[in-house]
Amino acid sequence: MLDGRRLAGKVLAVASGGGHWLEMRRLYPAFENLDVAFVSVHPAYAEQVPDHRFYVIRDVTRWDRWGLIVLTAQLLRIILIERPSVVITTGSAPGLFALTIAKLVLRARTMWIDSIANCEQLSSSGMRARHIADVWLTQWPLLQRPNGPFYWGAVL
Amino acid sequence: MATPSATEWSLLLGCRVVIIVTTGTMLPFDRLVRAMDFWAGQHPSEDAFAQIGDGAYEPRNMSWVRFLAPGEFADRVRRSSLIVAHAGTGSFFLAAETSKAVVMLPRLAVNREHTTDHQVHTARWLSDKRGAYVAMTEEELPAAIARARAPGSFVASQSTPYAPQPFLAKIREFLVA
Repeated sequence: MLDGRRLAGKVLAVASGGGHWLEMRRLYPAFENLDVAFVSVHPAYAEQVPDHRFYVIRDVTRWDRWGLIVLTAQLLRIILIERPSVVITTGSAPGLFALTIAKLVLRARTMWIDSIANCEQLSSSGMRARHIADVWLTQWPLLQRPNGPFYWGAVL
Repeated sequence: MATPSATEWSLLLGCRVVIIVTTGTMLPFDRLVRAMDFWAGQHPSEDAFAQIGDGAYEPRNMSWVRFLAPGEFADRVRRSSLIVAHAGTGSFFLAAETSKAVVMLPRLAVNREHTTDHQVHTARWLSDKRGAYVAMTEEELPAAIARARAPGSFVASQSTPYAPQPFLAKIREFLVA
């Protein structure tokens, strides 16, 4: 592979817990030699990405208003520290927030990969991501549409 | 930081773990925990252990914790013969990576177990995968466990821990563009 460090700026990879994080880890070879900071919800995940910076954010659902405010502040801080040129997520509300903030504040390039769990319809965060994701992906061929989301493959 | 080893855990908890029940850590899933606690009560010779997250229901017939760090969780899973979990993709990945059978019950939005019913979709998708045994309701759980443990049942399997190379290459192309 090409030496990514010379070609690319910083990458921010955002995933919430459980399946979203496992899906992100299955993309690990794509990050080889890149300057990547990972963001997820459990401090213990840091040991799974030992060669990279790792930030913890609050685990929230859309039901948790105060949590969403805390999450936004945390993501804004991380994005201002990291100043990524690319942000990638495997879905969920934190991913949507991170893409939105990075796009509005830094004009970062953004990639949304809707979780493979959403096999019959795109997630609601995924629907909202269409306007702020430069690359807007589903992992299910049947869910792709001519104007997106697009199907490039799947983690499984 | 000292983390108890697998052996230390089993000594601490005084049991040989055969079934691990996990709700994940994001939202509680009392319906699964309660159903498995009932099952454990009916099967006193079986060893079950549950990771229950923020659930309100505390099991009486099986040992449990709220959260395990990934390393400890992996140890637990390795020493189990069966995983019982919510119908998240993570449950199936876990089973595949550890070559275990997995019984899955989908969370339902109507019970506020999740924000949407996507686990019902995931459960339908995974139900024809080898090693995945789906119970659509808690009433179907004992039968799903029985199927998973029957002679000739399958474990989940996966050849690689990473996504297929063509998908990785396209993502890489975007990242370095």
